Amino acid sequence: MSDAAKNRVLVLGAQFNRVEKSGTLPVQEKKSFWKRNTNKLPGSIKAVQSKGSQDHPTSPSSSGSPSPPGNTISSNPEKMRGKIQSFEDYTSKTHDAWCEDDDDVEKVGERVGSVIIQEPTVKVIRGGDIRTGILSRMKKKHNHANDVRPRQAPSSSNKEHTVQPKPLPLPPHAEIQLELQEQEMLKLERFGKILAGPTTDLVILRQYSWSGIPAQVRPTTWQLLSGYLPVNIDRRQSVLDRKRQEYYNLLKQYYDTRHEDIHQDTFRQIHIDIPRTNPLIPLFQQPAVQETFERILYIWAIRHPASGYVQGINDLVTPFFVVFLSAFTDGELETYDVSKLSKDALNTIEADSFWCLGKLLDGIQDNYTFAQPGIQHKIHALKDLIQRVDAPLHHHLIKHNVEYLQFSFRWMNNLLMRELPLRCTIRLWDTYLSEAEGFSKFHLYVCAAFLMKYSERIREESDFQSLLILLQNLPTGNWGYKDVELLVAEAFKLKSLFGEAPKHLQSR
Amino acid sequence: MDQNQNCHKNNEFLFKVLIIGDVAVGKSSIMKRFAENVFDRKYGSTIGVDFKTKKLKLGGKAVKLQIWDTAGHERFRSITSAFYRGAHGIVLVYDVTRMETFTNIPKWLQELDLQDYNCTVKILFGNKSDLSSERDVPRETAFKYADSNNMFLFETSAKTGNSVNEAFEHLVSRMLVAFHEAESTATKPILSGDLSTCILSEQEKIIAGSGCSC
Repeated sequence: MSDAAKNRVLVLGAQFNRVEKSGTLPVQEKKSFWKRNTNKLPGSIKAVQSKGSQDHPTSPSSSGSPSPPGNTISSNPEKMRGKIQSFEDYTSKTHDAWCEDDDDVEKVGERVGSVIIQEPTVKVIRGGDIRTGILSRMKKKHNHANDVRPRQAPSSSNKEHTVQPKPLPLPPHAEIQLELQEQEMLKLERFGKILAGPTTDLVILRQYSWSGIPAQVRPTTWQLLSGYLPVNIDRRQSVLDRKRQEYYNLLKQYYDTRHEDIHQDTFRQIHIDIPRTNPLIPLFQQPAVQETFERILYIWAIRHPASGYVQGINDLVTPFFVVFLSAFTDGELETYDVSKLSKDALNTIEADSFWCLGKLLDGIQDNYTFAQPGIQHKIHALKDLIQRVDAPLHHHLIKHNVEYLQFSFRWMNNLLMRELPLRCTIRLWDTYLSEAEGFSKFHLYVCAAFLMKYSERIREESDFQSLLILLQNLPTGNWGYKDVELLVAEAFKLKSLFGEAPKHLQSR
Repeated sequence: MDQNQNCHKNNEFLFKVLIIGDVAVGKSSIMKRFAENVFDRKYGSTIGVDFKTKKLKLGGKAVKLQIWDTAGHERFRSITSAFYRGAHGIVLVYDVTRMETFTNIPKWLQELDLQDYNCTVKILFGNKSDLSSERDVPRETAFKYADSNNMFLFETSAKTGNSVNEAFEHLVSRMLVAFHEAESTATKPILSGDLSTCILSEQEKIIAGSGCSC
């Protein structure tokens, strides 16, 4: 049995050690069981998400390394009892795939059936042996390198594999590449293990994801972190099927209303904005993609009359669309020709993007309701925070009559998407989705860190005009993952200092 | 501090100009055409406000314009109206190919009145004049409306650049006249310029704070 499979068994054993195995029930019976349960939780998707997020309020600081398997259950026995009961009930009627040969792991993947879930997971699992080979070859190479010069101890697979600066002397370029590849693979392997189920522990998944999600598993991981995909692998496909169908029904029912009097303004606004969404990225200039966006935004808007469609929300669809598209292609995404995609695949991406966008917006609705109170509040908070942590910068802005509203409104309304390249936004969202309130609260600290990053540069400008022009066009064109990682690390420091102690901000 | 200060010294002036109007009438394109003499169809919607500057000489006077290009989207109105403060000139833009953007002009004027910018210099731009086959707002109607509201109207094309510079130059000359009128009468301020938004440099601040009589 591979390490991956052992680990899964360990998780299962620790969490559900009283479960007895028995044969698989026909699919029909399993469905009826879950149906019974979902009756207790109206709007089951939402319930799964909110429960998940309540059960696992976490941040990477709460523990430096991932918690040992199983302890998440005991950490909240009261809430988990129901889950264990139902899971016991469920597993007692279900075949436990993890106690079989590794080959069966593939079957689980196949049973799940979704390309999105299946592909990355199975790829990871299948790749196990090959990768072990590669890794051992790599390690041999590294050991050889050890003869030549001292280097850090090889990182253990249980630790966070963030890229650490190396002690002197600096390793040659190739060596760094190798090291990075190795770390990426180990990271991917860890994700593969936890995503493969049978239930994905969201606490651990968030800890892993906070510092970046490998592209191969990002679609599934984002769906899990969004609360769209159930943590239980056996429920995933049925939930996806149901939600996708639900979205198609919404389209059938409502999309034709877009030309009616009460909705035509909404649709016209969306229709005007779509060609202006990421205008420089060819992917979004394709009619099929633009129509997809129009449908997603229109249906969302008429279902949320309190805010309706607000400019900026169109931008928020793009990361989901690109990430979910990535499950279907290995090619360059920003120039991908969607006509290569089957209609079913595009429909799937559309439906999944719709629901995940909805989950995101649920958390930041007050950004888009009348007078945008959420944004106003955050702009004030940003000002208070900068005043506290970078007084010279704050005073420089005030001295030159620059108001925070003048540059940070867009940061809040579009979640920095207009300030950063799309690839960086996607990396940033790995962290946002891992944070308990990433888009609503953590974003404030990211904005503060973002402003402070340019503190020195900003203070070089000594008149209002140059300041505002700089602040509205901060030079982020060459940003990569590394910059985002530094940004979220700084933001995390700020959040730790001030997040739980707002009075710290008022003391001045 | 005097409400009507204008930042000037030795015939150097600084004016704040606001561009407002419905969504997608070409406000940002007008600003880009005027400030940088470029046109780019690939331009995202404006969120909140965009900002550019432009220097020009008119009648021996050096004028620096701060141009504030505001978002046309209605939900942003409560936020963008904060940027109206201290404007010396206002460019109201509609799209000649979409009648509703023209019929909404009174609403924009009302918005300004609410903000007490009644006395700021206003000018009307009928943009996208290059799309003659798609014209929806007849010239006569628009000019008649502008006349009856004491506004100058220019039909502009940010795409070709047609009339953009002329229109801005006209606005500047009107602002200069308004400024001098305010200076000579020195009663009720015509320009409601606000120091906090129109002073650019520390040097200019000193000038305005000490020497500006307006």
